[in-house]
Amino acid sequence: MKIALAQISPVLGNPEQNLKLHLDYIRKAVSRKANLVVFPELSLTGYTLKDLAAELAVNPRKSPAFKKLLEASREIDLVFGFVEEAADDPGLVYNAAAYLSRGRILHIHRKVFLPTSGMFEEGRFFAAGRQFRPFDTGQVRTGLLVCRDFLHYGSSYCHFAGGAGLIITISAAPGRGVDEPRSPGFQTSRMWELMGEAISFFSSAVVVYCNRVGYEDGAVFAGGSFIYSPFGKPIAQLPYLDEKFEVVEVDLKEIGRARKSWPFRRDERPEVIWQSLEKIIRENHED
Amino acid sequence: MKINLPLVVKTLTGFIREETRKAGFDRVILGLSGGLDSTVCAYLAVRALGPKKVLALIMPYRDLDSEGVNHARKVARLLKIRFREIDISPQVDAYFAAFPTDNPVLRGNKMARERMSILYDFSAREKALILGTSNKTELLIGYGTIHGDMACGINPMGDLYKTQVRELGRHLKIPKEILVKKPTAGLWPGQTDEGEIGLSYEELDRILYLLVDRRQKPDEVVAAGFERKKVRRIVEMIKRSEFKRKMPPIAKISSRTVGHDFLYPYDWGK
Repeated sequence: MKIALAQISPVLGNPEQNLKLHLDYIRKAVSRKANLVVFPELSLTGYTLKDLAAELAVNPRKSPAFKKLLEASREIDLVFGFVEEAADDPGLVYNAAAYLSRGRILHIHRKVFLPTSGMFEEGRFFAAGRQFRPFDTGQVRTGLLVCRDFLHYGSSYCHFAGGAGLIITISAAPGRGVDEPRSPGFQTSRMWELMGEAISFFSSAVVVYCNRVGYEDGAVFAGGSFIYSPFGKPIAQLPYLDEKFEVVEVDLKEIGRARKSWPFRRDERPEVIWQSLEKIIRENHED
Repeated sequence: MKINLPLVVKTLTGFIREETRKAGFDRVILGLSGGLDSTVCAYLAVRALGPKKVLALIMPYRDLDSEGVNHARKVARLLKIRFREIDISPQVDAYFAAFPTDNPVLRGNKMARERMSILYDFSAREKALILGTSNKTELLIGYGTIHGDMACGINPMGDLYKTQVRELGRHLKIPKEILVKKPTAGLWPGQTDEGEIGLSYEELDRILYLLVDRRQKPDEVVAAGFERKKVRRIVEMIKRSEFKRKMPPIAKISSRTVGHDFLYPYDWGK
């Protein structure tokens, strides 16, 4: 499978221009014979939306942008970020990721963990998603995550327990911390790579992380997108800070090989985890 | 407190380039005093945009800081950037002839605001975005004039402590005499920042770093080996100057109010 990473810098609050940017990169990915192209978090709108979040929210079934992207998905699978207005629950807007394939919406994941502290204020403007659910793409069982979701390891665990062999995180992560002179990137870049390495190895899954670049209101998006193999080996590492497009050959057979070498998946007991969690949650609530 | 210098240069030059474009400009302007901060800022701007896109204004008051003026000229010539010298003495003297004072802080603030007013005028004339040169140390303790030297279009250096700016200056190979001279706001002859603040930048920055970046409580900073009196003084300076770091509060009476719940990004549509 060939996966294209589009480490781009979307225009803040200009979906028309961003749609063009997406279609350009999709064409490029098709011409490079990629099977899937992945864009960053909120790639159709930009990240620092504040009140614009509600104004730019779309219903995927009615959005003209989705119509264009669905057409494009007849040639190549797409993952991108957008603001979703719930069709069944108007007024609630989500920071969402979509997986489009063969002209259909295969899955929409609503970001569960909305960072709302320090420089982040997503909880002020978005409703939180309520589930992690892997789905089949025809090639591999896949799990979608949005940015901070990935830093809560329970999110990836759900995809692992649900049988995902491919975990895709789309991200708009600012780079922070420059006081480690020997590290090539920001301290926060190291944090994402650490998680990528650990989750890919212990889930025996391909982990794809697509982060954006560019500047918004003083925030510096760090780039540094990556792919790890099911053996926990880095098979792609994009540069920090620079816009970059890269097509990466990913051998999906490695998932099975890794799971034969390290039977974490075979020996996993989600029911034990579930029962333990249930007790923990019940006891905490009784306090 | 050591920083990854190549990463910082890459980040800040990218910031200058991107934000200048987003603001609708293709060049920048800055006040060049010949001190460390404005020199480092000029070097970053030239790296980001090239010398033809950077304009420096040298704005002395009488001969209060003639060494600074010489250093500023040298920097402009070394960087091959366009510069203009504008003597602010006539307008400052005219004002204080009408409203005399010996208070050096009042005089210094007025001079800083004269320079701001000239920078904004030239920003419009030259279609150039104003680069701010305030560093993290002075932003945190409020060592600057509100609507004076703190006014700007964008500030590339506001998250670097003074001692880190010096490290960056060394990395960018700015003239040695600027790197080693005592920082001064040029308020009166012989004035130095450290003399006026009552602390060396090394000590000040280390205390600020623990309080701000490392989120330590004042007592913990004292336990780390700093004098209680100094720590308390710095905490007080931070508290007293918060108004300089914020837009003024708007009394909220409607259901949607600028600054409270009418919230849009600075880089809206860009």
